[in-house]
Amino acid sequence: MANRTDPAAKSIHGTNPQNLVEKILRSKIYQNTYWKEQCFGLTAETLVDKAMELDHLGGTYGGNRKPTPFMCLVMKMLQIQPEKDIVVEFIKNEDYKYVRVLGAFYMRLTGSVTDVYQYLEPLYNDYRKLRRKLPDGKFCLTHVDELIDELLTRDYSCDVALPRVQKRWTLEASGILEPRRSALEEDFEEEEEKEEDEQAMDAYEADTHEKDYYHGRSPTRERDRDRKRDSYRYHRDRDYDRDYGRGRERDRDRDRERDRDRDRERDRDRDRDRHRARDEKDYGRERERERDRDGRERERRDRDRGRRRSRSRSRSRDRRERDREDGDYRKRRARGSVSPRRRPEEDGGAREEPRRKKEKKEKKSDGTDHPDPEIAEANRLRASLGLAPLKL
Amino acid sequence: MIEVVLNDRLGKKVRVKCNEDDTIGDLKKLVAAQTGTKAEKIRIQKWYNIYKDHITLRDYEIHDGMGLELYYN
Repeated sequence: MANRTDPAAKSIHGTNPQNLVEKILRSKIYQNTYWKEQCFGLTAETLVDKAMELDHLGGTYGGNRKPTPFMCLVMKMLQIQPEKDIVVEFIKNEDYKYVRVLGAFYMRLTGSVTDVYQYLEPLYNDYRKLRRKLPDGKFCLTHVDELIDELLTRDYSCDVALPRVQKRWTLEASGILEPRRSALEEDFEEEEEKEEDEQAMDAYEADTHEKDYYHGRSPTRERDRDRKRDSYRYHRDRDYDRDYGRGRERDRDRDRERDRDRDRERDRDRDRDRHRARDEKDYGRERERERDRDGRERERRDRDRGRRRSRSRSRSRDRRERDREDGDYRKRRARGSVSPRRRPEEDGGAREEPRRKKEKKEKKSDGTDHPDPEIAEANRLRASLGLAPLKL
Repeated sequence: MIEVVLNDRLGKKVRVKCNEDDTIGDLKKLVAAQTGTKAEKIRIQKWYNIYKDHITLRDYEIHDGMGLELYYN
């Protein structure tokens, strides 16, 4: 009758399309007033009108889990199963964002993996705000791209278990999809070039006898750079999206990320050097002596740099100094194995006390080392959920 | 620390250790970890009183060994 799926509809993911929504939620939707009054006898065209009237999205809310109109319309789409063209039209339309989101949700539920990625990824560029109803009945603010990210990365959204899609890199590896090109790729490349210029300046100022080694490292650095670029693309894009409009924050974030990049590159270089040193033990012994001497100098310089950093007024000047020192550091550490730069122990006195206190507090607050194994396990579970340990 | 028994009368009976000042939401998370359902899908009732997520067990006067009804959303 009213709740039966259209008999001409195909099965989705091997089952009746309405079964994509769980039994309890389905029953709740069928008993809902909005469903009974407004969603009776809807066709694809009239559904669009109803979708244009939407003003929030969400799953179920309240003590007895009432479904939202968004949920009812999703159910209606599953019931009548509109053509793929119609769904793509929903997604492509720019005027009504809730219609777009409705189409995207339906596509995520019913589409094949390639379709899902193909049609939902352009929506990453849509930054409009959305109103979302939380399970406790209140509204919260979200954005279209946040929602698309949730649809593509999580497997549960709006109280509906989303069908499994493979990760993007699996599809890229099998050649079905191309690697993702972000809309902000030009900005990213601009900044890469700026970084390159700065590092080229350092290389120019380097000692001449170190220059051969430095040149020798540039192909690997390119490899690092590519690797770094790919791995960073997702994270940075999202940060960029949000900070793009705000000038000063963007610079600050970009600087912070650049420093982080450089730290990470340095770590990678360090690992590589450590492996190489294992082959050159004799050479390394002489280097050790030199390294110790350097180490002490370096620690002193670190400390000075730390102090200077907090006091210096112009951050660009500080960064250039740091770059130069990083360049030296990299060159000096080139052949020998590298010990991690540890904070100087001269400040040890003041630092040991807080360290001891922290250890004591860790023993107290965690509770996972309780003698009774049941309680220890319960505490471990609570810690993983973010709850305080049991009070005995 | 108290121990609460949750029964859904369909075969799932779960004993959960918790603090008295945990909220019902925390209790739902602990139950979800033990039963395997999602925490949002669980509903804890006593007769027709649906217990709300933000209120503590102490405020609901839930004591050690008390039985609660487990339903699903």
